[in-house]
Amino acid sequence: MKSTFQVLSFFLLSILFFSCENDDDALPSEAIESRTVSNVPAPQTGGPPSEDPVGGPFTKFSFATATVTTSDTEWDIAFRGTTIAINGGVPTGTNDEPVRNGEAAAAIATGTFPSVTDANDLSFIQDSENGFAIPVGSDNGWYNYNPQVNVIAPIPGKVLVIKTHDGKFAKMEILSYYKDAPAQPDGFVNESRFYTFQYVYNPNEGQTAFE
Amino acid sequence: MLKNLLGMNLNNLLAIAFTSVFTSVIFGQEHIDLKDSVLIQDLDEVIVTATRTVRQLSSVPLPVTLISKEQLRNTGVIRLNEILNEQTGIITVADESGFDGVQIQGIAADYILILINGVPLVGRSAGNFDLSRLTVGNIEQIEIVKGPSSSLYGSEALGGVINIITEHPKDDKIHGDASYRFASFNTHDINVGVDQRIKKFGYSFFANSLYSDGYDLFPEVVGQTVPEFNNHTFNGQVFYDFSKNMKLFASGRYYRQDQDINLLIDEELFEGSSDIKESNMQLRLDHHVGNELALQYELYYTNYMATEFLQSPVTDALFSESDFDQYLLRPEIRATYTIKPKHDLTVGVGFNQERLDRTFFDEEVRFDSEYAFVQYDFYPLKKVNLILGARYDNHSAYRSQFSPKASTHWKISDVVSVKGSVGYGFKAPDFRQLYFDFTNSAVGYTVLGYNVAVDKVLELEAQGQLLDILFDLEELGEPLEAESSIGYNLGASYTKGKVRLNLNLFRNDFQNLIDTRAIARQINGQNVFSYANFDEIYTTGLELDIHYKVSDRLTLSGGYQLLYAKDKQKRVALERGEVFARDPRTLQTVVLDNSDYFGLVNRSRHTANTKIFYNIPEWDVHMNLRVNYRSRYGLFDSNGNDILDTFDTTFVNGYALVNLALNKTFSDTYTLQLGANNLFDYRDADNIPGLAGIQLFTRIGVNF
Repeated sequence: MKSTFQVLSFFLLSILFFSCENDDDALPSEAIESRTVSNVPAPQTGGPPSEDPVGGPFTKFSFATATVTTSDTEWDIAFRGTTIAINGGVPTGTNDEPVRNGEAAAAIATGTFPSVTDANDLSFIQDSENGFAIPVGSDNGWYNYNPQVNVIAPIPGKVLVIKTHDGKFAKMEILSYYKDAPAQPDGFVNESRFYTFQYVYNPNEGQTAFE
Repeated sequence: MLKNLLGMNLNNLLAIAFTSVFTSVIFGQEHIDLKDSVLIQDLDEVIVTATRTVRQLSSVPLPVTLISKEQLRNTGVIRLNEILNEQTGIITVADESGFDGVQIQGIAADYILILINGVPLVGRSAGNFDLSRLTVGNIEQIEIVKGPSSSLYGSEALGGVINIITEHPKDDKIHGDASYRFASFNTHDINVGVDQRIKKFGYSFFANSLYSDGYDLFPEVVGQTVPEFNNHTFNGQVFYDFSKNMKLFASGRYYRQDQDINLLIDEELFEGSSDIKESNMQLRLDHHVGNELALQYELYYTNYMATEFLQSPVTDALFSESDFDQYLLRPEIRATYTIKPKHDLTVGVGFNQERLDRTFFDEEVRFDSEYAFVQYDFYPLKKVNLILGARYDNHSAYRSQFSPKASTHWKISDVVSVKGSVGYGFKAPDFRQLYFDFTNSAVGYTVLGYNVAVDKVLELEAQGQLLDILFDLEELGEPLEAESSIGYNLGASYTKGKVRLNLNLFRNDFQNLIDTRAIARQINGQNVFSYANFDEIYTTGLELDIHYKVSDRLTLSGGYQLLYAKDKQKRVALERGEVFARDPRTLQTVVLDNSDYFGLVNRSRHTANTKIFYNIPEWDVHMNLRVNYRSRYGLFDSNGNDILDTFDTTFVNGYALVNLALNKTFSDTYTLQLGANNLFDYRDADNIPGLAGIQLFTRIGVNF
């Protein structure tokens, strides 16, 4: 009963609001979500040192639900080894890629995580036959590989800004590629292909701001 | 295990022997001779490397270091790297490739030229010249000129020149010396030398053999840190004076090292060998025409061959095999014309032919270059010396280079003098940077030499191996530039009575440094790298040397270098707030600024040395204690932002090594030496595998 009243009053207030100011920006908005996700597994088959081509299914993730998902449609980004696919565009041509059926796109911003406050001025690209929107390879996209210590480290200052499969915006910073995000991963000991990342997700349609 | 035990017992034995002799010397000395004669500094020291003419050391307008035969003998070192490490501002370090090389004024080994009797030695590993290849057994003097010297020597002489002068026969008696040195790790070093000058004819022969069991800093891991090795050096020299004005010098040198190596990969052991053969032949004719003109005709040939293979002892499957075969041929003519006393004009012309055939090259490659240089060494004022010089190198594979240099020395008084120099130095792109074709089978990346990159990338593209090409390939058609630097040195010296003091401020500005960058991306997610000119760095600091001859018996010396070595572009990026690091505790990213920037890898801010030399003439005893210190330095970037910063975890702690040697001569003929290198057994196995623990040694020698 009480909750019904709340919903009702909410509606009433909204109508009031609407009638007073005819401005889209003033839409009552859902809260911006800020989360950290740990140990998203990203297994892969093949790739060096084996001669086999890289393969295996990607681990799909949804910002809206903050979970790993097996849905073929309701996912935003997906992980396999150091490769990150997005649910937008077309497969790049590697084995076992998921079908893209959303409108996801990605941009890489430079700065500390809090300093990226809006997705407005960024140019977004989608996965395509020319490659992943988040480029693969050391120092090309999100990570640096140090062969001396055999460690894959997220490049500090790289913030991935993602347009989700349904057109919302999120910014994410990968914190670790190793299980349980050790402060100083040992490339020969710690288990890799486990993503820990923080992200900020704006669930409101058409809004690009992250604060 | 047995070997370890034996080694330990040997160490103990040597330690006991050493301690007893040492204490008997210290405590046996009951009367102190207070006869303190007027101390005469070594005024007759001369150097040839700075100007390619014989110059008195104290008047040379460049920062130079001389290492005498006496110092080599008394310190008991056997290899060139050991003695260089004890000089101010000179250290040997292992770079990212793991190979050791020499660093001068913070400048890496790639940019330091190594000469023997004025001609260059070749055979480098990833740019590093392994100075432990060179025995000090027949060295008369080592001359080091710091700062760019390309105006005389051309390529590679950016950071400095190290010139080894071998011994010459002195008189008509047969002089011979033989020595045997036994040291920790079952190390045996044997030297035999003989020389004589009979009127117009002179000769010298020298042989050295060095054997060691090597050492193992990680006994729990299969294989040794430094495996057993054995090397031999032979050097023969012939001198013949056709007349007073026409003198011939011919030298042949041969070096060979054999080493068994092994490597453990994924619990599979591979065994193999690593062998080096090097030969040098030098022919020089000195021709004096009257008193004014001195001509030198020189022909030089050197060859360096390294072969290495690893295979499985079980299956005989080959794991890796590599060959390296480099040679250099160089005729050169030099002329020095003395216009009037102390006004010398030197000109030289020459030709270099270099060839290299190695694994990861498609075919043998060849460089040709012609060069000419000129130098005018004169006194515009009575006490002011000015040297102006320049060299022009015309090269088959890169843009020609013009290398000028000016230096001056002003003797203000008998006590104080100042000197300064400005010079240009360059290093030609090396064979590897131009012709390499290497794919790492474990990770899958590819490295291509600049000159073969375009063709190889197109080949990979045609094979469907590439995702995309990151650069306009036409842009890569422009030839790679030589790396270059401008070096500034400003120094002052003070010599009075027992004290000698030298101060030098230096700055070296490098541009067009060659480094790798990704030029294409492969479908396996890895990059295709090639070389490009893009880094700009500087090294700057000061060097201070103090030499104090307390008495006839006691001499103290100290040296210090302050060094800042940084990347200019990184400084700009830091200034703009574009460089970040992840705080390892919170995993959050923070912005770095220049105060967080440590500088280039492998550079210590402070290096210092202290030496005490003590003579007891009445007992024919000489002892010395040398301490060498280097402060903290970083090995490589560990947090993905491509700079060494305060969050990196790859710093090596500063350390000091203490070396001690004790010499006793018997009836001018026999010498006994005892000593210890790394006396306090300092080790840092994880970071400095090249640093063995304490090495005790004893040496017996005979001169006749």
